[in-house]
Amino acid sequence: MATDAPAPPALEPDIRALGRSLDAAFPGAARRPRAAAEDLVTARLARRPELRAALFRLVDVAPACRTPAELGEHLAGLLSDVPPEDPAARVGRRLGRGRATAPLTGRVAAVGIRQMAGRFILAEHPQEGAGTLADLWRRGVASSVDLLGEATVTPAEADRYAARCDEALTVLSREASAWPAQPILEADSAGPLPRVNLSVKVTALTPMIREADPSIGVADAAPRLRHLLRRARDLGAHLHVDIESMASRETIMRLVLELLAEDEFRAGPSAGVVLQAYLSDSDEVAAEILDWAERVPRESPLTIRLVKGAYWDHELVEARQSGWRPPVYETKADTDRNFERLTRTLLGAHAGGTPIRLAVASHNLRSIAHALAYARSLALPDRDLELQVLRGLGDDLHDALAAHGLRVRAYCPIGDLVAGMAYLVRRLLENTANDSFLATRASGADLDSLLTAP
Amino acid sequence: MTFANEPILELRRAWVRDGLRDALTALDRELPLDVPVLVGGDARRAPSLDSTDPGRPDRVVARATVATADDVEAAIAAARRGQPAWAARGARERADVLVRAAALLRDRRPRLTALAVRECAKPWAEADADVCEAIDFLEYYARDAVALDDGEDLLQPPGERNAMTYRPRGIAAVIAPWNFPVAIACGMTAGALVTGNAALLKPAEQSPGCALELVSALHEAGVPPDVLALLPGEGDVGAALVRHPAVHVVAFTGSSAVGREILREAGTVRDEDLHLTHVVAEMGGKNCIVVDADADLDDAVPAIAYSAFGFAGQKCSACSRVLVHEGIADTLVERLGGLLDTLVVDQAERFGVDVPPVIEAASQERLERHVAAAAQAGATVRRGAAGPGGGWFVAPTLITGADPGSPVAREELFGPVVVVEAVPSVDAACDVLDTLPVALTGGLFSRNPDVVRRVSARVPVGNLYLNRHITGAMVGRQPFGGNRLSGTGTKAGGPGYLRHFVESYVVCENTMRHGLVV
Repeated sequence: MATDAPAPPALEPDIRALGRSLDAAFPGAARRPRAAAEDLVTARLARRPELRAALFRLVDVAPACRTPAELGEHLAGLLSDVPPEDPAARVGRRLGRGRATAPLTGRVAAVGIRQMAGRFILAEHPQEGAGTLADLWRRGVASSVDLLGEATVTPAEADRYAARCDEALTVLSREASAWPAQPILEADSAGPLPRVNLSVKVTALTPMIREADPSIGVADAAPRLRHLLRRARDLGAHLHVDIESMASRETIMRLVLELLAEDEFRAGPSAGVVLQAYLSDSDEVAAEILDWAERVPRESPLTIRLVKGAYWDHELVEARQSGWRPPVYETKADTDRNFERLTRTLLGAHAGGTPIRLAVASHNLRSIAHALAYARSLALPDRDLELQVLRGLGDDLHDALAAHGLRVRAYCPIGDLVAGMAYLVRRLLENTANDSFLATRASGADLDSLLTAP
Repeated sequence: MTFANEPILELRRAWVRDGLRDALTALDRELPLDVPVLVGGDARRAPSLDSTDPGRPDRVVARATVATADDVEAAIAAARRGQPAWAARGARERADVLVRAAALLRDRRPRLTALAVRECAKPWAEADADVCEAIDFLEYYARDAVALDDGEDLLQPPGERNAMTYRPRGIAAVIAPWNFPVAIACGMTAGALVTGNAALLKPAEQSPGCALELVSALHEAGVPPDVLALLPGEGDVGAALVRHPAVHVVAFTGSSAVGREILREAGTVRDEDLHLTHVVAEMGGKNCIVVDADADLDDAVPAIAYSAFGFAGQKCSACSRVLVHEGIADTLVERLGGLLDTLVVDQAERFGVDVPPVIEAASQERLERHVAAAAQAGATVRRGAAGPGGGWFVAPTLITGADPGSPVAREELFGPVVVVEAVPSVDAACDVLDTLPVALTGGLFSRNPDVVRRVSARVPVGNLYLNRHITGAMVGRQPFGGNRLSGTGTKAGGPGYLRHFVESYVVCENTMRHGLVV
């Protein structure tokens, strides 16, 4: 489905020019001193894998520690796996083991973790996060709220998550009605775009995902998702269904496409799905979605959020342990190339009249510039392309995009720290991965080489 | 060539599931299978023992001919006849035969998997893993036997030539269980054969069909008829083999009661005996998962559920007791209890099933008795779905508040029943483990490396799993076997396993002659 041809060479000068222009619009480090300092630390961590592993494990266990002393002990224990010559490890070990110093060390660590979490997690509750969402909106940045939660293993937990989503839709709709008009964020050529945008996770809506029979999870999640779709429709909000690992992919795709095709959802809500470019069969999934969009008449076009994918290590490890061909591309460049191919496929479909909207979710300037340049080459207006970033990782980027008058949305997790740990660890891993665009850029790589075709 | 595990099926792909459905339909047309007594190339057929589908007991899966005392004698005679030549073929040739057998099983994976689904009510993923493990045993032991054939490196001072080599013991009786109807029968048989022994296989009476497929593949691959016999039947056939003075080694996997009987019987040395009977026994466990206060319950709860309820708890490695830190015990019980309602209790052939029926009516009755007794003694019993009628279904069960000394807390349950108990600390949990006479598998959920190190060094179990489920040992990755009364200390699928099927020979030659080293 996705064309295998590389980006038209004629597009390259435009891509480079756009990339440079966006880069120039990045706010300087002076405007965000703490984030800049954290970036520096994480860039250094990328070169010390054992220390990085120990600190990530500490972040992971922090909410389960009942006292600062316990956290201190964990720190000391985790640091004993770090090479002895690392000075940070030596000090941390000593302080964490001492009877007198362990509680203090733990307290300091807890403050650090909370600060870090605050960068990525907007608030504990939608009501508390509403102010920040309004600020973003005024600065030209729309949002999608994601409710962090513990894993759902019981029906009661699934019900609770659905109730939280319901409540978030209510609260956010009330708040958003008072926001000022933002023409760029509120419509594209296909029509109006809801201000309230909620991302939901199917694995939280059902404890019954069985990869060997997707229909079990579909049947269990359907009533809860149907309820949320009705609420979103009635409130005029957008509901976006996130995607996770391969174990749940078929369940999620089947569930969403089946429910959205039901008669009662023909007139709404605005809804969306996610396509992961790191999957080597993602072009087949794209074809399936486009075919669905052609066949199913709905009032608002389906939004497709194109991402690279956040479960790369998980998919690779699982495949290796099971003796499978990995479902993901094994190199970053392959994924980046596929991301561009899918971008062109989806923009091409949109330009050709298939009722879909594309949201390009990436922090890679090359990927973004490519999408923009290609959309312009198809004579599409800029507002027909949505750009998405992650809160905490893409803050500079969304300002740069907004400054260019582009339509940008920040993905904003809301929830408590305990529930947010899995999310936080994933984001930190992403931020310190050696081959990530942000880490490469933070380490001072040459912009032109970053903007070259992958 | 290095060993690699046989890749398991990717059941999340629809086309893979379609292939298995087709295989099951094709198999159903062939049922019941006719399982003869196979001795010295002759098949004797007088079927009288049926294996049935545990989920639909009116479906006969195999009709087996029960081996008689004469069959046992004939099998011993054939083994005596054929074994010396088999031993003389050398390790490399025997290893080639095993690798060919692995290839045959690989070709027949869908059919064998379907058979394990039907005959033992193993869900697809578990049945597939069973067949893969059988292939792994063949491939792994083939390589290990070639290495073993090189003998050992000894010190060689001047004037002295030392050699240590291994030779087969002779005749092995293999007494196999039904819960891994292909893998365990295959592993024990392959271990005996590849080291040059004859093997007389007595499969579980519940799974003769799977055993026939295995023996057929080994014969087709080139194991001479004389050195591999199939002797279906019940306990008396196994007992006759164990008692037989010509049997050198007994390889057994099964219940503690039978295992102890075998060890007693094999330990009796008669005046006329020319050898001791060596026993390789893998018996039960009372496998506990310890959960510390810092555990991530998002991981621990599903892992406990899978370890306790997967394949209806009928793995030797299954979890039947959880020792959880009192600080998070209530939360764990609430979440595990809620999870019971999500378990799919249904026929093994249904994709996505969590809890299939147990193997037979007697198991169902025994488990219900245990649960009723615990409830009567004042424990709190919470149960999941009862499953469809007709089969030997047992609702997945969570028991709390049971007396730590009561049968449910101390005995192997071998069913979808788990007891959860709060403890003041991880060390208190370790104290509990120390009081148990069995020590097969165990688990620990903790995120403190110091605790992980301390517990790993202390607990007596043969296979300890950290922060994951405690079943599903893989050949070459987690050599499997218990300590204490759980077994004779062998590790199936690991280095050293084949030593149990051979005797060691050391030859020391004086190379000094008239003051000259020759």
